[in-house]
Amino acid sequence: MKTRSVKDRSVALLAWVFMAGVTFLFLYPFWWMIVSSFRSQEAMLLEPTRLLPESFNTRAYGDIQTLGGVKLWLYTFNSVFITVAATLIAVGVTALGAYALYRKPDLPGFRFIQFGFLMTMMYPAMLLVIPVYLVVFQLGLLGTYAGIILFLSLMPILFLMLVQFFRSIPKELIESAKMDGASEMQIFRKIVLPISKPILATVFLIGFLLNWKQWLPILVIATSPDQYTLPVALLSMNTELGIDFQATMALAAITTVPIIVLFLFTQRRVIGGFVAGAVKG
Amino acid sequence: MQTDTAVPIPFLAALRPARWRHAGSNIWRNRIFYILIAPFAALTLVMGVWPIVLGIIVSFTDSYTALTPEPTYVWFQNYIDIFSDDLFLSSLWRTLLFTVLSVVLNVTTALALALILSSRSLKLAAPICGLALFLPVVTPEAATFIVWKWMFSIDFGAVNAFLEDMGLPDFAGTTKPLQAFFTLVFVEWWHHVGFYTIIFLTNLKLLDPTLDEAARMDGARTMQRVWNVWIPQLRPAIAINSIYAVIQFLKTFAVVVIMTNGGPNYATNFLSFYAYSKFNLADYGQALAMATVLFAIVIGLAVVVYRYNEKADYR
Repeated sequence: MKTRSVKDRSVALLAWVFMAGVTFLFLYPFWWMIVSSFRSQEAMLLEPTRLLPESFNTRAYGDIQTLGGVKLWLYTFNSVFITVAATLIAVGVTALGAYALYRKPDLPGFRFIQFGFLMTMMYPAMLLVIPVYLVVFQLGLLGTYAGIILFLSLMPILFLMLVQFFRSIPKELIESAKMDGASEMQIFRKIVLPISKPILATVFLIGFLLNWKQWLPILVIATSPDQYTLPVALLSMNTELGIDFQATMALAAITTVPIIVLFLFTQRRVIGGFVAGAVKG
Repeated sequence: MQTDTAVPIPFLAALRPARWRHAGSNIWRNRIFYILIAPFAALTLVMGVWPIVLGIIVSFTDSYTALTPEPTYVWFQNYIDIFSDDLFLSSLWRTLLFTVLSVVLNVTTALALALILSSRSLKLAAPICGLALFLPVVTPEAATFIVWKWMFSIDFGAVNAFLEDMGLPDFAGTTKPLQAFFTLVFVEWWHHVGFYTIIFLTNLKLLDPTLDEAARMDGARTMQRVWNVWIPQLRPAIAINSIYAVIQFLKTFAVVVIMTNGGPNYATNFLSFYAYSKFNLADYGQALAMATVLFAIVIGLAVVVYRYNEKADYR
């Protein structure tokens, strides 16, 4: 027994050390990004892996107040506005659609809608942007917030999560309301909506995180940097606006840190939602 | 408004064929569901079905006329062109190789990480490790891929600084073809493995504990329990993760645009990136022919995996 527990303990220690290394590998790039945004280029060249900046050099944060002729606050506003608007529309539209498809999958036309949605999910999301560019062009929505927001509000993963939730509602709940003579509208408003509030919050949160990340559709549909969001501005800095390393790290930090904070506060909900959407029945 | 049962009007109803009468009243009775689904249907049609159909149509037209009201149809010419383009063929094989490598790497390491994280001795540390692993899934890839690009830089990247500290030779990162390919395999792994790990972790928590107890009573060692008790029960999770991973990695795109731009010497020129660069050259016909080919591959693979999975369930 004794030798076994010694062996168990050394295995446990090994597991600890290994997972500490893995955790470091996943957190270090974020730390490096933040530290680098406060260090001058010269200091970086001398000592690339210093864990703390030698002094808080905030030059880069001043320099990126205007980028490519556009103020940083406009990129930030675009990010918040486009993300919130697209996610609100996505949650509303997808929740209603998922509910209708869950309740009456066999109504005339519903199968077609489901099929169309499935195809949209299968089409390589990045490449869908190419024909969407043509559609947005034909609709005359190139270079408008409306064009960007409409495309971003089509969010397949939210649909999977919502359908998964609706399936978990006990059938008896709806059946008994029907027996009591409730109309479908009443069932929806008085029974389904109230119990859906937590899932709607989760789905909104995940939609927010996913839309905040978006860049290609915005880059393609926007016609000028005035409509760019933070990630798109960051990417244009990566290519067009030269290679000011420190400034790039500063903008990357501004794009990422709010999301990290939001995620840390809501991790249970977010991870639970992702899992529910992925493990579909 | 409130009457949900259609009022039968025998005279009028008799004039219509029975089937239509039935369908019509069915639609009317369920009008609330049509109202609920209308915005969703409109969005799916305008931003999903229409672009996909238009994409397939444009893949049959001449690029110069694709955006005009009366495009010239060249039918399969774009497909013939891309399949006689060596760059396309090599990008196709490269994408498939990358996908196979990444799926195997991600699913096996995610399974291993989940098994380690669920062990009793890591009870305290597991939540923090889980969060760290999941962080890249939710943070903007535009930022994380740029950070990795610089981490691999020769001059002030952290990767080479670490290697030098340990007395190891420099890693060329994205500057040499083979190294660039594996750099992308690694960075994509870093970006996605947390998602698959969390799926496995959740499924591990749902396992039947009595089976494990029984195996333990019989004196099975840890590795035997992992192989003979846990992994067989995780089969559905392995299947789901593999499907997701296949679809995920076939579409690999952002990391290429941000870190390598397809180079050096086309070593990271993946299918979706090549299609996108054709699109940037306004070569819509060929770009969409490539997109359609990738779409067909994704559908084909999804169907195969789904069928296989269904069969496996009945064993």
